[in-house]
Amino acid sequence: MTGNKTGTKVRSEREHMKKALDLISVLLLAAGAVYYLGGSFSGLAALSSGAALYLFNIYYFQGKEKTLSAVKKYLSRLIVPLIGIAAAVVSGAVIMLLTGYDPIESYTALFYGGFVKNWYVAVLNATPLIFTGLSIAFAFKAGLFNIGAEGQYYIGAMAGAWLGFKLELPPLIAIILVYAAGSFLASLWNFIPALLKVKTGAHEVITTMMFAHIARYLSPIFIRAFGGDPATSTHPYVTWELPESSWLLSFKSFIPDANYRLHTGILIAVAAAFFVSYVLENTKTGFEIKAVGFNKEAARVQGISVGKNIFIAMMFAGALAGMAGITQVLGLDHKLFENLQAGYGWNGISVALLASNNPVGVIFTSLLWGALDAGGQYMARTTHTPNSIVEIIKGIMLFLIVAKYIYIYAARLIKKKKGGGSV
Amino acid sequence: MIECCPYPPYEGNEKRGIMEEALETGRPILETRCITKQFPRVLANDEISILLNKGEILSILGENGAGKSTLMNILYGLYRPTSGEIILKGKEISFSSPRDAIRAGLGMVHQHFMLVETLTVTENIILGSEPSKGGVIDYQLAKKQVLEISELYGLHVDPDEKIENLSVGLQQRVEILKALYRHAEILILDEPTAVLTPQEVEELFRVIRALRDKGVSIIIITHKLEEVMAISERVYILRRGKLSGEGDIKDLTKEELANMMVGRDVVLRVDKKGNGKKKEAVFFIEDLSVLKKGGNALLDSVKLDVSPGEIVGIAGVDGNGQSELSQAVMGLVKIDKGSIRLNGKEISTLSTRERIDEGISFVPSDRQRDGLVLEMSISDNIIIGRHDRKPFVRSAGRINHREIRKYAEKLAVDFDIRTPSVSVSAASLSGGNQQKVILAREFSRSPVFLLLNQPTRGLDVGAIEYIHSRIMEMKQKGAAILLVSLELEEIFALSDRILVIYEGQIVRELKTNETTDYEVGLYMTGGRKKGSLNDGK
Amino acid sequence: MSFLMFLNTDLLVATVRLSTPITLAALGATVCERAGVVNIAMEGIMIIGAFFAAVTAFYTGNPWLGLASGVLAGGIYSLIHAAAAISLHLDHVVSGAVLNILAFGITRYLMVLFFGHPGTSDAIPSFLGDYQFAVPLLSKIPVLGPVFFNQTPIIYISFILVIFLAWFLKHTRTGLHIRAAGEHPLALETIGVSVYKIKYLAVFISGLASGLAGAYLSIENNVSFTEGMTNGKGFIALAAMISGGWSAAGSFLSALFFGFADALQIRFQVFRIFHVPEELFIIFPYAATIIAVAGFVRRSRPPKADGVDFIIEKENE
Repeated sequence: MTGNKTGTKVRSEREHMKKALDLISVLLLAAGAVYYLGGSFSGLAALSSGAALYLFNIYYFQGKEKTLSAVKKYLSRLIVPLIGIAAAVVSGAVIMLLTGYDPIESYTALFYGGFVKNWYVAVLNATPLIFTGLSIAFAFKAGLFNIGAEGQYYIGAMAGAWLGFKLELPPLIAIILVYAAGSFLASLWNFIPALLKVKTGAHEVITTMMFAHIARYLSPIFIRAFGGDPATSTHPYVTWELPESSWLLSFKSFIPDANYRLHTGILIAVAAAFFVSYVLENTKTGFEIKAVGFNKEAARVQGISVGKNIFIAMMFAGALAGMAGITQVLGLDHKLFENLQAGYGWNGISVALLASNNPVGVIFTSLLWGALDAGGQYMARTTHTPNSIVEIIKGIMLFLIVAKYIYIYAARLIKKKKGGGSV
Repeated sequence: MIECCPYPPYEGNEKRGIMEEALETGRPILETRCITKQFPRVLANDEISILLNKGEILSILGENGAGKSTLMNILYGLYRPTSGEIILKGKEISFSSPRDAIRAGLGMVHQHFMLVETLTVTENIILGSEPSKGGVIDYQLAKKQVLEISELYGLHVDPDEKIENLSVGLQQRVEILKALYRHAEILILDEPTAVLTPQEVEELFRVIRALRDKGVSIIIITHKLEEVMAISERVYILRRGKLSGEGDIKDLTKEELANMMVGRDVVLRVDKKGNGKKKEAVFFIEDLSVLKKGGNALLDSVKLDVSPGEIVGIAGVDGNGQSELSQAVMGLVKIDKGSIRLNGKEISTLSTRERIDEGISFVPSDRQRDGLVLEMSISDNIIIGRHDRKPFVRSAGRINHREIRKYAEKLAVDFDIRTPSVSVSAASLSGGNQQKVILAREFSRSPVFLLLNQPTRGLDVGAIEYIHSRIMEMKQKGAAILLVSLELEEIFALSDRILVIYEGQIVRELKTNETTDYEVGLYMTGGRKKGSLNDGK
Repeated sequence: MSFLMFLNTDLLVATVRLSTPITLAALGATVCERAGVVNIAMEGIMIIGAFFAAVTAFYTGNPWLGLASGVLAGGIYSLIHAAAAISLHLDHVVSGAVLNILAFGITRYLMVLFFGHPGTSDAIPSFLGDYQFAVPLLSKIPVLGPVFFNQTPIIYISFILVIFLAWFLKHTRTGLHIRAAGEHPLALETIGVSVYKIKYLAVFISGLASGLAGAYLSIENNVSFTEGMTNGKGFIALAAMISGGWSAAGSFLSALFFGFADALQIRFQVFRIFHVPEELFIIFPYAATIIAVAGFVRRSRPPKADGVDFIIEKENE
């Protein structure tokens, strides 16, 4: 009897220890991520020790097999993207050679610029991309293609600027309110596409795309109407700078050697990714959205309202894309430029597809995209290779990762060759 | 190459002499020798050798999944055999595509018709073999040719009508014409009677005999014993990919055939005990109408009621309003008129959700389209519809994965769902197990009223028996059950009363033990439409 | 001072001119979707066509060669969509979106390569707009004459294509096969016609048409190539095809409507008849597109197997 009791006691002690160690590894990962995203490479050390501790934990408490299967699980998800990236880099080199540029010099500059020298630019690029990527990925889960995230981005940016001016409130409250109201306005931009989708079946690819074009032309009107800087009354229009109370906190305020432009919007973006992931996996709303996305008919038969879930997905997607615009205005620019055509909405499609619509995956693909863009600029400055080669490499990468069937064919071919002798 | 002997010595094969006899008569037109087809996970055909004589009607009998369709697809050039030979008119051949098979004189009428609904009869018949000059189709000539053939074989059909406007029987006729247009000498019919009424079946048999008399050799693939007995001259029986028997029909009994097909004696009769006294009905439909957008009625003043512990069968030819009826009951289409009541409560104004809550369970006819979310796990599919109810959800809409898993694992055992884990996707299950997932979900809700739409579609005998027994169990528990089925056999096996639906109207009510399938068939085609229930248009 | 004064022949001439790229791309999309392949890559294919037409016209000095190379480039580029959507079983919409993104990358890179700078290319020496000609007799018809029969080459080609493709789909073997492939591909396969081949062909035709639309933009309606000059026209063409009921003639009529909206918009902008910001005029055609696809006119349905993946040999999986 007593032996049994101590047994449970030991077990519960082990449980406690495991939980504590898990907590430590999560904290290490989080702190490492914050520092790394803040441009400090010491964060990498914390990140890797956190990951190591996580694996050690599994090994210590669950044995070797579990550890291996955990490692396998993560690696198997990475294998196709890694092959795709490698193949795209090789194709890029071939193109450079064919068109007379030096691939080794270019790639050195590209990767050094993107991942080391100007890493903070990569993070800045990635911030809005995570939001738009999440927006598109979330809509995809409901079987919808929010191809016009660019438009919702504009609306978010305009709403952010407008509210940033109007709300004269203490810093934190102002920011929260701007996010709440601004993302609501951006979600309204998807109201008509959602309504038409539900009522008449009009395809969201066309409607959101057209709304994106409309939003683009609204920004100059907006800037002239609300707080346009008269000194720049000709193109491109720009607004006044926002009051500092609505600026996002910069990394510099707690990491002294961080770049002064780097703001904490990236942390909001990462948090949003985990939030979206949680909603999809662990809430009834997420369950319904996925059911509708996979099979509308079966969902309907089970009493799940298809229309309601299309609305939720479209509006939430609009809000997420809007946050990209808000973050850009409150964090980076502190003002609104007319020439918004940064293409975060379009690139959001790429990062969502690259991540197979996995919200947490979007963080990594956005950072990759951001780094490639940052590296591309650095490369164009330091070598003769034009920046736009990056666009081609990105396109090939996207194609090779999205078209998964290529790998099935390849596997089949290899199998045939191997099996050819024996049959 | 040939290790397997052309005439495999399967167990208890006393009738081998027939084969030799057939060979000696010197009329074989098509022969397969030791055809084997290995799919990645299943051996679909295992050394199958069959022989077709010129001008005979041959049946290939077997359950779903016995390998009949695989064999036919091999003959038709859609699949290539892993090993084995096909001999046509004494020459070994190999087809790499249906085109080769067609050229060699084979024609196939698929179970699911290969007709383009938006095209006309003529366009469908000539598709792929169009009479043309420089790529431009000569429609005049095409129509003439089509008329000639339909005249020759007595298969009349309007060449300018669109397929979508034709009845199933006529569509099948177009399929046959399609094969004949390509000069088919061998016609393969895959489950040709699956969707026909008894009357249409008779008409089909007449056509088949007429074709035989004109020298066409015919292979009928089927799982229906009656059909084999009624039309064919010779039969091969397939079981689990292997040839399990063969013989002349005149030497065989139905029981022998059934035994060879299933490997044991089958009783497809369900014991309808516990019928007792009829209770007060709990489910009523009155004056229910659903109109098409144009205005004609898909459902026209339907009236019916179902009592607890009673199974009411709805018999009818596909497309006569059955799917609209189930959709109307579930709140998936807008009804234009009428009322639906359950336990005295009007439910026609409720949402699908609320109807489920009132105690309706529904097994849809298309399990993959309406029944399951194939990409989601088995456990998610078992609780979908109750995913927002306790205990599957905690406060604030958070899903309780542990409870879901526990519940799903219990039901997987209760309903004999064969799977390594309930967390794999529903797509990975076989058809029978997928249907069991749906049954588990719907039956475990303890419904007051149970709506079953073709609950055993496309399943093998074992699964059908299992599902029928579960349905009878629900009946015993006191559920009121409405059974929609295209299989008259199933309707007769399960229901206490039969309602016949025709063009959206319930044209007749019959007691199961006081009627015959022939009589029901007559009403199903509107043949003896009585003015008593609904006066015609 | 009435705004009706804009409703003159010039407005209609401009309507036809502005609708031509939409008509062409929508015609291609019609063929493509009738064969069951959804194509939202028209935007990207157009930009590729426009670029190669301009480059060839610039370096050879011959706009006709430019025309040919623009069409061909569009066709070749569309084959990537065919390969992805048909052979690689990628979702058609995803494949189209990826190709749109890739097309802008390619043209940006090649701009630098061929012209040494991004943005707008150097002006081509001779453009197809110079080849405007009046059809004898027909151009004398009041109103219709100048609108339809005193135009430039690609516009005439687009008229011919509308009639040809409508006839082609109805009366030729290939046309019949295309229609069958989009409705019930297995029916086609089981009578021995390769569905893949038909679908590849249909996508290729749509690529040629979108390439032609691109060439129109850069070497007939314009004298140079500008990045992003398609400006959503590929998607408007998609809308034109849908509201045109997946038919050649319907696509043409819808495209005319969108062209009219665009022409009207430009008039409004130039004459500043309403005192509102000019951008409100620019958004007019986009708004018109939304209204058109919103389904106020909805008679037809898409082909049954439109966008549905077709795998022939399941046995190999």
